[in-house]
Amino acid sequence: MRDSDHDRQPHPRGDAHEFAEERESLWRITLAPTIWAFHFVISYAAVSVYCFRYDHLAAMGTLRAALIAMTALMLAAIAWIGWRAFQRWDVRGTGEFSNPEGNAEDRHQFLGHAGFLLALISFIGVVYDTLPLIVLASCR
Amino acid sequence: MTDHRIPAGDLAPEGIYPPTEEMLRAPVPDAVQARQKENLRRAWKTPQGWRYWTAVNNSEVGVWYTMTAFVFMLIAGVMALLMRLQLWVPENDLISADLFNQLFTMHGSAMMFLFAVPMFEAISILILPAFLGARDMPFPRLSAYGYWAFLIGGIFVIGSILFSAAPKAGWFMYPPLATLEPGIGSDIWLLGLSFIEVASIAAAVELIVGALKCRPPGMRVNVMPLYAWYVLVVGGMILFAFPPLIAGDFLFELERSFDWPFFDHTRGGDPMLWQHLFWIFGHPEVYIIFLPSIAIAAMVVPTVARRPILGYSWIVLSAVGTGFLSFGLWVHHMFTTGLPNISLGFFSAASEAVVIPTGIQLFAFVATLIAGRVKMTLPMLWIAGALAIFTAGGLTGVMVAIAPFDWQVHDTYFIVAHLHYTLFGGMIFPVIAGVYYFFPFFRKKMLSERLGRWSFWLIFTGFNITFLPMHLTGLLGMPRRVYTYPQGLGIDWLNQISTVGAFIVAAGFAVFAWDIVRPKKNQPQIARNPWGAGTLEWSHEIPETKWGVRSIPHITTRYPLWDQPDLVARMDAGRYYLPDAEEGLRETIVTSVIDARPIQVQRVTGPAYVTILAAGFTGGAFIFPTFHLYPPAIICAAFAVVSILYWLWTTTARPPEKDMKDVGLGLSLPTYAAGPQAVGWWAVWITMLGDATAFASLVFGVFFYWTSSTAFPPPGAAHASGSLVALATAALALSWALTRGARGLNRAGRVGLARGALALAPLLTLSGMGGFILSVIDLDPTSHVYPAMMWALMVWIVAHGIVGTIMQLYCLAGSIFGKLTPRYDADLWNVTLFWHFLGLTALVTGAMIGLVPRLM
Ligand code: HEM
Ligand SMILES: [Cu+2]
Repeated sequence: MRDSDHDRQPHPRGDAHEFAEERESLWRITLAPTIWAFHFVISYAAVSVYCFRYDHLAAMGTLRAALIAMTALMLAAIAWIGWRAFQRWDVRGTGEFSNPEGNAEDRHQFLGHAGFLLALISFIGVVYDTLPLIVLASCR
Repeated sequence: MTDHRIPAGDLAPEGIYPPTEEMLRAPVPDAVQARQKENLRRAWKTPQGWRYWTAVNNSEVGVWYTMTAFVFMLIAGVMALLMRLQLWVPENDLISADLFNQLFTMHGSAMMFLFAVPMFEAISILILPAFLGARDMPFPRLSAYGYWAFLIGGIFVIGSILFSAAPKAGWFMYPPLATLEPGIGSDIWLLGLSFIEVASIAAAVELIVGALKCRPPGMRVNVMPLYAWYVLVVGGMILFAFPPLIAGDFLFELERSFDWPFFDHTRGGDPMLWQHLFWIFGHPEVYIIFLPSIAIAAMVVPTVARRPILGYSWIVLSAVGTGFLSFGLWVHHMFTTGLPNISLGFFSAASEAVVIPTGIQLFAFVATLIAGRVKMTLPMLWIAGALAIFTAGGLTGVMVAIAPFDWQVHDTYFIVAHLHYTLFGGMIFPVIAGVYYFFPFFRKKMLSERLGRWSFWLIFTGFNITFLPMHLTGLLGMPRRVYTYPQGLGIDWLNQISTVGAFIVAAGFAVFAWDIVRPKKNQPQIARNPWGAGTLEWSHEIPETKWGVRSIPHITTRYPLWDQPDLVARMDAGRYYLPDAEEGLRETIVTSVIDARPIQVQRVTGPAYVTILAAGFTGGAFIFPTFHLYPPAIICAAFAVVSILYWLWTTTARPPEKDMKDVGLGLSLPTYAAGPQAVGWWAVWITMLGDATAFASLVFGVFFYWTSSTAFPPPGAAHASGSLVALATAALALSWALTRGARGLNRAGRVGLARGALALAPLLTLSGMGGFILSVIDLDPTSHVYPAMMWALMVWIVAHGIVGTIMQLYCLAGSIFGKLTPRYDADLWNVTLFWHFLGLTALVTGAMIGLVPRLM
């Protein structure tokens, strides 16, 4: 009973471990939004600390460049997460856009789909949050 | 045979799973069914007479909870009518300025804290178990405790207006207005609502654990009802949104009671910290109110469209996405406060981004309706009204999210109009839709079609008559929160229209309320599934039974009543799991998070007085300080602790009479779980996540002061004693290590050593607490915000240290009296988990008091 293979319904792909429960986690689909949250908090905190305390020390440009570099890294991470999730969704392999069946394969692909969509929205969120950094050049 | 050397928490299920079609087809003999029903009926019997109020079953507590929240809403509505009467003509003197301030403050606070959030939790407690084919929530007594706390706190807060003692600084209580306000109004708000927030968090913990661990076997995450997804998201949001507010309340009350100057800028404080903490809570709050309504729509829409919802994954994405993004919006309420433009930019951006997921959800509903064969039932009428009103509110919302426009209309009636459009469209209408839809499930009676249409059209037109003109009133310059206005601004007639509209809305609510309470004795028995829905709650039995479900089904589809044709008959026959209650205990099945594999039989608690007592004493601990009566408050707190300990000791994680139980269909499940398998462990984990968020808010406060004023810590300020802080931190860290060690030793059978560790650990905890107290004792918290903040951190860690000590002693006592053994060690797992958080809190506190200020 410990291994989840017990309750597997037959599915088209034979790979016994691919859909095993212990490899999945609900946390995984929140990974991309979590990156968005970090991006948001770090940008906001960095700009606040800079504007209130250190604006006499260095030019804003340095901070903006650093934050934009961070943004690029985070966007790459989100894109990678999204790509992995897209593969798990496997819409090209199965041709199924939605996964309503109560079997392990559909659950696996559903989590891929949801993770992919969340990566997409997080990507957009990060881009939005970066616009002020690009458009506005000073604290005031 | 079970092996007695294995810890009971590590026992695995045995037998066959999933059930085969052949097993499900085998009939259950009538005599067996009758006996099973008798057992179940006895185990789940509702207490009679005045003992009725000791009930803890979700079907009782849920009804009390919803009705109480509804009554609070009606009271807040009456306050709105009084305000509208006052505004009927210019320079009216019906209501004094002072009372008007109390009215709008209480109206707003009651609507938000006593109605909108509790209503979601109340409805969820009532229906979530049915969606999941569970017999009850995992911690019924916790729901009951939350309900009684809500009732006591709500009456206390709302009753204050009868004594003209209510808060009057607006529902967001901005200092310095609210800190300096004489009288006890602000204290009532802070303490009364903190108490209710604690109850809200308790309910959220329960709901999250319910949705994660109490699903029926087979209901994987991709087939669970969308409502359960929303419960997870909204529960999670409550967990991260309420604690910052509680931290803010904590600082605020310390300022009001002891004059610690957190928000007083003459002594280094800053009122902006409150605004931040309030809106970190306040904006997600808007979505905490709004998402449950979408959840209701997500249940109603497929039923009226007679087809599965379109875009299930998209809706899940939107719910989760909104949950996250809504936390990035808080500063848009502070556009006019002089923050750097670039900071405001982040928030404008996030405000626009959150529109995307919101739009996706609405789009999925519309698509489902178009693809289906819609039947315009009463619930659907209300949903349609909600959609119309919410869309209008969303448009004005996008307008005010643009910073320059907000500078124009800030604090005018334009905002009042926008706010009510979103709240009526996003909350009132969908909730009423839900009431019409689920009423046959709650009460096994139908509401009246005719009265329902009357109340819809009254509320819908009345609402627009009231609030549409207010946009103009606001653009013409009428500020909000004024008790009267001068003649000749051209807004007199607009105000009169609004007042007339308000009374039409009130008439609509009167019709609705009458429909709910009117006697329905003579109504014929309703159909079992009156709307032809596909989800599990409509497998309910008619006439009503108290056991929840006759047997817990194996679910493999999203719409089991549509897709699993024999399901209901087999459930009724007791063909599925747990069809019996041989031991006379209340039980439900616990399953795994992702795939809902059955893993345990959970014994749930039954009727009790102790929950009412515990809620009453907790109430005392919050209410007495309002009047600066500290000794009775401390006594109440002590009694609350005793009641809660009694409740835990007598009913939770007790060694069961047998380790495995046959649950039917050839499957045997353990009756005991410890660690991550156990629902109790999950509850601790989730609670501590919220607790850590509150603590993080305090730490945020320290950094906030550092960025906002140049003198934090002030030059030459005395610091806490570094060596004492280091010692105290070390003592708490050691206490953590001993607790963790005790768990391992106990498991390994070294009971004597484990007891030794558990006896030593509280001593270390106490000395750690003492060290923290002594380290700051020489600083004067009233002199400046810096020492005040150090004291606040100290108070936080000491309060947690007290809880940690009690827990260690609880486990020690458990070990001595045979409740906690090497085989049955769930308590020790939970306490260790608490201590992981406490150990971390101690390290951070040590750094924040002893180290960081010296570097700032
Ligand atoms: C018949 C229905 C209602 C009417 C006539 C009404 C009327 C009002 C009025 C006159 C104000 C005060 C405006 C001011 O002076 O600034 C107000 C404020 C407010 N209302 Fe309502 N309201 C109604 C329903 C609701 C509902 C259902 C909710 C929430 C679920 C709500 C939430 C609020 C909030 C949060 C405020 C702001 C309070 C403050 O300024 O501190 N209202 N409403
Ligand atoms: Cu907002």
